[in-house]
Parts: sequence; structure tokens; C-alpha cells
Amino acid sequence: MSKKIETLFIFSFLVLFTLATLYPALNIIGISLRTDDAFQSRSLALWTSESSFRSYVTLFLKTDFLTWMKNSFLVSFVVTLTGVVLASTSGYALSRFNFMGRRAVLSSLLMTQMFPATMLLLPFFILLAKLKLINSYLGLIIIYSSTALPFCIWQMKGYYDTIPDALEEAARIDGCSRFSAFTKVILPVSAPALVITALFSFMASWSEYVVAAIVLQDPGLYTLPLGLKSFQASLSTQWGLYAAGAVVVSIPVMILFISLSRFLVSGLTVGSVKG
Amino acid sequence: MLYENRKALREVCDKYEESHPDIKIELTYRETEELRSNFQSSAIGGSGPDLIYGPSDQVGPFAVMGIIQSLDELFPSSFFDQFLSNAVVRFQEKTWMVGDGVGNHLMLMFNKELISTPPESTDELIQMGKSLTKDLNGDGIIDQYGLVWNFTEPFFYVPWIGGFGDWFINDDGSPNLNTKSNENAFAFIKSLRDEHRIIPKECDYETANALFKTGRAAMIINGDWSWGDYRDKVDFGIAALPMVSSTGDFPTPLVSTKGYSINVHTTGEQLSHTIDLMTYLTSPEVQLHYVRRLNVQPSSLAALAHPNVQSNSLLNQNADIIKKGRPMPVVPELRAIWDALRGEYQSVLAGTKDPHAAAVESQRKAIDQIKTMNVVIEPGVQGKFIKGLLFLFIAALGIVFWIKKKIYLRSFQENKFAYLMLLPAFLGIMSVIIFPFGYNLIISLSNFSLRTFKHWEIIGFHHFASVLTDGGFYSLFGKTIIWTVVNVSFHVSLGVFLAVLINRTLPAKRTFRTLLIIPWALPQYIAALTWRGMFNQEYGSINLILNQLLNMSPIQWLSQPVEAFSACIITNIWLGFPFMMVVALGGLQSIPKEMYEASQVDGASRWQQFWNITLPMIKPVMIPAVILGTIWTFNNINVVWLVSNGGEPSDLTHILVSYVYKAAFNLYRYGYAAALSMIIFLILSMFTVVFMRRSKLDTVV
Repeated sequence: MSKKIETLFIFSFLVLFTLATLYPALNIIGISLRTDDAFQSRSLALWTSESSFRSYVTLFLKTDFLTWMKNSFLVSFVVTLTGVVLASTSGYALSRFNFMGRRAVLSSLLMTQMFPATMLLLPFFILLAKLKLINSYLGLIIIYSSTALPFCIWQMKGYYDTIPDALEEAARIDGCSRFSAFTKVILPVSAPALVITALFSFMASWSEYVVAAIVLQDPGLYTLPLGLKSFQASLSTQWGLYAAGAVVVSIPVMILFISLSRFLVSGLTVGSVKG
Repeated sequence: MLYENRKALREVCDKYEESHPDIKIELTYRETEELRSNFQSSAIGGSGPDLIYGPSDQVGPFAVMGIIQSLDELFPSSFFDQFLSNAVVRFQEKTWMVGDGVGNHLMLMFNKELISTPPESTDELIQMGKSLTKDLNGDGIIDQYGLVWNFTEPFFYVPWIGGFGDWFINDDGSPNLNTKSNENAFAFIKSLRDEHRIIPKECDYETANALFKTGRAAMIINGDWSWGDYRDKVDFGIAALPMVSSTGDFPTPLVSTKGYSINVHTTGEQLSHTIDLMTYLTSPEVQLHYVRRLNVQPSSLAALAHPNVQSNSLLNQNADIIKKGRPMPVVPELRAIWDALRGEYQSVLAGTKDPHAAAVESQRKAIDQIKTMNVVIEPGVQGKFIKGLLFLFIAALGIVFWIKKKIYLRSFQENKFAYLMLLPAFLGIMSVIIFPFGYNLIISLSNFSLRTFKHWEIIGFHHFASVLTDGGFYSLFGKTIIWTVVNVSFHVSLGVFLAVLINRTLPAKRTFRTLLIIPWALPQYIAALTWRGMFNQEYGSINLILNQLLNMSPIQWLSQPVEAFSACIITNIWLGFPFMMVVALGGLQSIPKEMYEASQVDGASRWQQFWNITLPMIKPVMIPAVILGTIWTFNNINVVWLVSNGGEPSDLTHILVSYVYKAAFNLYRYGYAAALSMIIFLILSMFTVVFMRRSKLDTVV
């Protein structure tokens, strides 16, 4: 009996907590349904008599939103692919081999996270300008893939550490090469970690604004965050459009997170200890 | 740039392209602040747009940095004679910009449904304001304000200094803030809010705009740029800012121009095209188009003489208002003055300083900041020494490498597979992170700043010394520690707590897990801006909820230092706990059920189980997450910058990283900012090493 009451208590607590957590997200949806001028209102209601889907209609029909979305998908797709390939191979090298410089590489991966990213912008720009990669996706993709990599490599390495060595040893005895042991035996069992790596690489590029703003100048190349920001002029923001855009931008990430939340729990091993 | 203005610009560009089929005009928009920082970066990289359109106050910094070219050699002098003199922007005896309109000045706009004749003096303004500030439905909350405007911003404040007699800047670009007029103006704004209560307590630009557009404010102080936005929504009239009753003087709004400058890297044929385009974009024909579309006050004398302009009553009235204004200074020092004034003015409004002290302090700060902004540290002996040292270091690396090359080669051959697997990622990270890191190290030892933009030199450890001897650094460091500790402890405890709850046998367990991840999934900048809206004192949901549920009086979240910092922390806690929750959930799943069963047999309580089994078992997964979480939180600029709007009030909500950003892009102190970043990097490295040793986790690496 007491157990039931306890469960009920915990359940209702979680319901309340979840509602409170979701409120800000619902708030954005509420704003996207209002007219621009109702942005400042004392009503807490999400749907009022003035609400409409007008902003969404304008967003898709009258702005370049679809182009931005296409661009963002393209960039994020390539970044995710590169991220997964590079992180899975280098994470494997770091987990399985004891080579010279291994420790140095691992610590420097962690160290890359310690430098304030804002100060990297200027050198990024100089580098890209020298390589003539300004205003091109290639430059953007290189930066995105590499900035997401350190975390992804750590994460992959942590996951490989939990897989017993015996697995590929068996495959090697069966006559597999090193590389095919990796691709045929290790990669398939690492699916959860690969999914997480993909998710992180995707996130790093999907909603990134600052780097995109210095690299891309041609509005035809804009990614979603840049496009969204263009609704937000400093002296007159089209709040309805902005919020509607924000909702639509968040949807793919939400879908990914929700459908992958199963893997998140089993695959996120931010460098767990071997053994 | 407003949406309508962009559209109008695109229209005239399309027309130009039609008559010049071989030329394609690419338009790219950035907001004023970003335009500045992006153009700076692209100029260092040697590229960027050919033609830059922006407000005249960017001319000073751009000209000093040498990233725009002087127009005197490019155009015949008769070209400049076609414009009003305040549209031809000169600085240090040269012409740098030509404006396609004049204005950008503040005025009083009033809702004709509520007011028939605008107030002519401040006494009248207060009187009218009082009768128009009303609680319409009797619930004790004010529904309609007499006056609204973005009064916390210096640009929206300085006209009043003029109205009280003095001006905030001298002709030579030095600040003039320690004046009776500045004190009186401080006190005047504060009295409008606290004594006469005709303006809202917290009112940023968006709030003011929305209130006026929906008829919930009778008057607004705003610029000519907002006309297009109001035109279809409010029947409004314009007037000069009302005369200050005690002095009999009119406030003096800043009048500026927005116009075109040419990139210093534009040369040859491209340059002649650019000149031709600029001539077109400032021509009477284009300006008359803007008059029709946007009601912009033309700068071209020919356009001004056109019957369409002569008969435009709004523009005629506007011309009278402009006469009361003063020209916008273009010197780079203006930024330092704005910055000093903003901080002190916000302290007055927050009630933490009296007007006199704030006036004295703002003058001191402005002088101080101008000094640090303009100082050029000459490379002395130390500079040469450091240069030599750097060279030696690189040489030593090379020699070590040469001596040990056999060992390296052998190691490579032994582990060829591992190295090849690692190589592509290593190259990527090398170019994108290690190169910028090295670049910053060099910059941090250099005198790179506004005045040495194109020819900086290595000077040594000056910036490191000035960071470490500045008391400001330690208070920022303290705040950053509070920020990090509070955030990470909430992230971890909330995350573990929720994970333990969710991990029980519960109905709808998966749903909770999925929904609680949402803050993590939402793009950070969107979440941060939404929270900022929710913290608004009168219209934000947080105060509304506190008021309706707990009957609390509204908290001034964004204009008081402690509250604003708490607002940032609350936002970041919300953003960060799901990550820890997911990590903890992963850890919990690896604990075998038998352990709990065994301890239950031994009669252990829930609490004991948690301390003796759960915590030790999830510790190995949590510690790396805590280290990463600490580093990320320490360096998280987005939340602080967006929620506190760049450190408001009075730059009291900065943490180290947001201050780095400010120093680099706001005050052009690249060298100093780079040194500060290096120090942040060292602090975090030390933390990580110590933390890993303490938790015996160096085995992770």
C-alpha cells in the first residue's frame, strides 16, 4: 500500500516538474501563434481569440525559409557523416592501441574544450580567407566537423572501452584484417554510441549561428539560424515570424532526440572507465 | 536594418541590375553591432563586401583601423556638393561616407486617438502622462502608460543632457559627463519612473514598441525609422521632444546619416563599378523612391527641392525637429563614452548610485576606457626577447623532432594502423583548433588593438600583467566561479535526482524521460531569448505566475544586478540538467538489481542504498560528465550574453568569457582579450588536472 502511495506521489511530482520544464517551450509556440504586437501581453494563455497560424503561412510562402532549411539540411548532413566517420575511426585507435603520443592526443582533445570559442572566430576567418573558403559550405563544414570532433572522439573512445578485446581477437583468428574486424565486428555493436555521435555532430551544425555569420555572406547560402536572425532586426523584430521559425527549427532536433532517447541512455558514455 | 528598408533597397538594386546586365548586386544584412565585428574580421582576412552601408558612427573606428578608403580621391568634389553637409561624413580631414538620407533622430510620437496636441514642455509632459497612465479595468495593474521608450540605452537618454544645458561629448571627442546637466538628466528620468510614474519600470525597445503599437501607450520616444512600422497600426503624430521646463531648452537628439563607405580592399575594375553603384544609390532618383516607400528624409539637395518632398507634411515637420538636434559624433571614442555612460546610468536607475556620484564616475570611466582603447604599447626589449624566445622554442621543437625522428618513425611503423585511423580527425582538429590557439597565443603577446589594427607587433606579457593586476578580473573570476558552481551543482543534483525517480517502475516512464530532454534539444539561442522575454518585469510569464499563484509583487529581474544574474543562472540550469540526467540514467542502468536486493535483505534503508550503492556506482560515469559540464558552463557565453543583453545592468552580470567578447569586439582590445582567454584556458586546465587527480581518475586519459 505504502509503495503505491509513494509511486503516486513521485508520479505527480514528475508530472508537475515536467510541465514546468516544458513551459518555456510552450511559450514559444504561444508567441508564434499570436500577432507581432501581442508579444507583450499579460495573458498567460497559449491560445487566445487572436491566435492564428498566419505566421507559419507567411514563413513558408513569403520568406526564403525553405531554402534556408534545405541549406541547413545539406550542411548538417555532411557534417554528421564526416563526424561519424572520423570519430569512429580515431576513437577506435585511441581505445585499442597504445602508441606514442596517445595520452597527449587524449588530453589535448579535452583541452580544446577549454578555450573560449569566441576568440577562435578571428583566426577562423583569417584561415578561411587565406584558403578562399569564405562564402562556401566547405569552410563551414570543416569548422563544424572539427569543433564537434573532440567530444565525439572522447565519447566513441569511452564506448569502445566497454567492449571486450576478445571480440575482435576472435574475428582476427577467423582471418579478418584489422580494419575489417573493426568494421564488421566492432562498429555494429557500437551502434548506440554512433547514434549519439551523429546526434551531437548534427546539433553542432544545425543551430550554430556565430560561425555561420562570419563565413556565409550570400543570402542564398544562409542556413536556418542566419535566416531566423534576419527576422530579428535590432529595432524591429518580427516576433511572430521569429517564433514560428524557431519552432520549425526545433522540430527536427526534437524528433531526433525523441526517437533516439533510447540510445542516449545506453550510448552516452562520456569516457567511462575501462573495465 | 528594417525589413521594409531592405525590401526598398532590393527594389532599387534590381532596377540597377536591369540597366547594367553584366553586374549582379549581392546584398547581405547584418545588424549594426554584427556588421561592425564581422566587417572587422573580414577586413583582417583581406576580404568582405565592396560597399558597406551603415550608421555614420562606424566611420571613426573603420577609418582608424584603415579598413575603408577615403572617398576624396574617388569622387569629384562636385559630387559631395549635391548633398546636405551632414550627410557627407568627414573624419580627420577626409571624407569616408556619403549618406542616402538624414535623420535617425529621436522625437516624440503620440497616438492621435489619445492626445490631440503633444506636450510642449516637460511639465506638460508629466501632467499629460499622469492623466494618461491608467488602470483601465480596476485590477490594480496599469494597463495604459502616458509615455514609453527604451530609456535605459544611452542613445535614448543623451538628448536630455542637451536639454539641461551641456552636451555629453566635447568637439575633440573627449567625454563631458561630469556635469550638472548630466546629473539633472539622470534625476529627471528617474523621477519620471519613480515619482511621476508615467513610464514603465522595465521597458526595453521591444516592450515600448509593442505598447505603443497596440494603443497601450499614449506617447513614445522613438526614431524616424519606426514610422513605417507604425503607419498602418496607429494614427500617430510627431513632435520635437518637449522643452525642459526648468531650463527652457529643447532636448537635442542625435542626428546622423546612414550611408555608404567603400572597402579598402576594393580595387581596379571592381572599384569603378562600386563607385558607379554608390553614385546611383545616393542619387536623387533613389532617394525619392525611399521618400515614397519609407518617408526617409533625403540628403540630396535635388531630392529635397522636389515637389514630392516639399509637399510632404511629415517630412516638413521632421525637418524642423532635425534642426533641434546635434550631429552624431563619428570618433571611435564614442563607444567608450557610451559604454561608461550606460553602466553608470543603469546604476542610477537601479537605485544603487546617486546622480552626482554616477556623473563623476561615468566621466572617470570614459576617460579611462578611451585611454586603454587608444594606447599603443611600443615593443620594447621585452618584445624582442619574447620574439627570440618564441623562435628558439620552435627551433628546439624542430631539433628534438630531428633527434628523435628514428623513434617516431619506428613508432609510426609499429602502429601504422592506429596512426592512419587517427590522421584525418587530427588534421581537422589541428587546422581548426590548434592553429587558432597558436594565433591567439601570439596575439595575446602583441599590441593588437584599434590603433594597431594592421601593423601589430609582439610586445610581451603586458596584457597578462594588466589582467592579473586589475581588481576587476578577480571579481569577474569570483562571479564565474559562483556561476559555474551553482549551475553544475544544480545540473548534477537535479539530474541524478530525476534519473533515480525515473528509473523506478513508473507508469509512462519513457514519456517523462523524453519530455525532460526537451530543454537540451532546443537550440540554445532560441531558449535564451525566450527566457529573457519571460523575465520581463510586467509582461513576462514568470512574474505573472508568481503574482497569480503566490501573490508576490513583481521582481525586477532584468534591471537589478543580483536578480539579473540569477535570471541567467535559472535559464542555464534549465538548459543543462537534461544532459546530466541522461548520463546518470546510463549509469543507473549498469547497476545490477541484485545489489539492491542484497542490501534490502541486510535491512538497508532507501537512503542508505542511495549513498552506499547508487552514488558510488554512478560516480565513474558522472565524474567525466562533471568535468565536461564544468568546462562548458565556465565557457558558456550564449546564456549570459542573451539573457542579460550583453551584461546589463551596468556590466554587472558578466562572467569571464562574456567579458572577453566585450573586450575584443566592443572596445577593440584584441590583445587584451586574447590574454584573458589564455588565462581562462590555464584556469580550466589546472582545474581539470587537479579534479582528475583528486578523484583518482587520471586513468580515464
